[in-house]
Amino acid sequence: MNPRVILITGANGGLGQAIARSFLQESAENQIWLGIHTRLEQAEKLAKESPDRCRAIALDVTRPDSWKAAVAEILARHQRLDVLVNNAGHHEDALLATMPLDSWRRILALNLDGVFHGCQAVLPTMIAQRQGRIINIASLSALLAPAGQTNYAAAKAGVLALTQSLAKEVARIGITVNAVCPGYVDTATLAMDEMERKRAIERIPMRRFGQPGEVAAAVRFLACGEAGYITGSTLKIDGGIF
Amino acid sequence: MSNPELKLQIKRLMVENLMLQITAEEIADGIPMFGPGGLGLDSVDALQLVVALDKSFGLKISDAEAAKGILQNVNTIAAAIEQKGQAAG
Repeated sequence: MNPRVILITGANGGLGQAIARSFLQESAENQIWLGIHTRLEQAEKLAKESPDRCRAIALDVTRPDSWKAAVAEILARHQRLDVLVNNAGHHEDALLATMPLDSWRRILALNLDGVFHGCQAVLPTMIAQRQGRIINIASLSALLAPAGQTNYAAAKAGVLALTQSLAKEVARIGITVNAVCPGYVDTATLAMDEMERKRAIERIPMRRFGQPGEVAAAVRFLACGEAGYITGSTLKIDGGIF
Repeated sequence: MSNPELKLQIKRLMVENLMLQITAEEIADGIPMFGPGGLGLDSVDALQLVVALDKSFGLKISDAEAAKGILQNVNTIAAAIEQKGQAAG
């Protein structure tokens, strides 16, 4: 396995952390960049654990200038960028009838615009390399569109469409673009009380929540050499919900 | 650098980056990049060409309108590179 330079956004969260650890374990030579914005503690802790291979970098995914600066810093150090994992995301659930316009815009900006800006920021480098992997973390909400998530479901469905369209654009250049759709994954963002957890588990054929490491393994697979013929795909990781 | 040398460099860059099934020498200076009767490149080829020209010659093509003018044929690309050189000099 050749050492690779990997940028993961939303790297302070449970899923981002698991993805970073998975790539750290994959090869002792992988260089991991943890894109972080407002919350830093976990990412900085991980960076301190592997200071030679893992660095935290300031990145507001909603701002093109922030992407430009982050990618420039990575290229200044490594002269290449092999994998982008667009993982940053957040949801603010509300019924559409009462959803504040700001909430709609905020969720679209973070979950969908952020992916657009990220792909645009790394593509010149990946095109010049004639090689690259982009993995977008979508959500089962993109496919099931639950009530109360019009903003989040629309944004994540947009990510799936972006993934497929971009995959076609860059396929012949050696760049793959894929998405994963995690279902219920046991992270801090899955804020549920005991009753909600019980109801959710009843809907999952495997009768358990997914672990962040199980999503991370799928991301690592889509980024590996053996997955070179997979592009424009959506991989559901949801314990069998459909 | 003389103009023919620059044009040959551009042609080699095109063959290499766009994986054209012809040699650099077979590309005429004025043959259109796009459309019938030309090299038959498409928008993805144009995207790769823009990146390659920036990387190899430092030629920044910032928008679609500029690309339309510069990426007509090898002559127009060479002219843009030379013009950039003169502006920098």
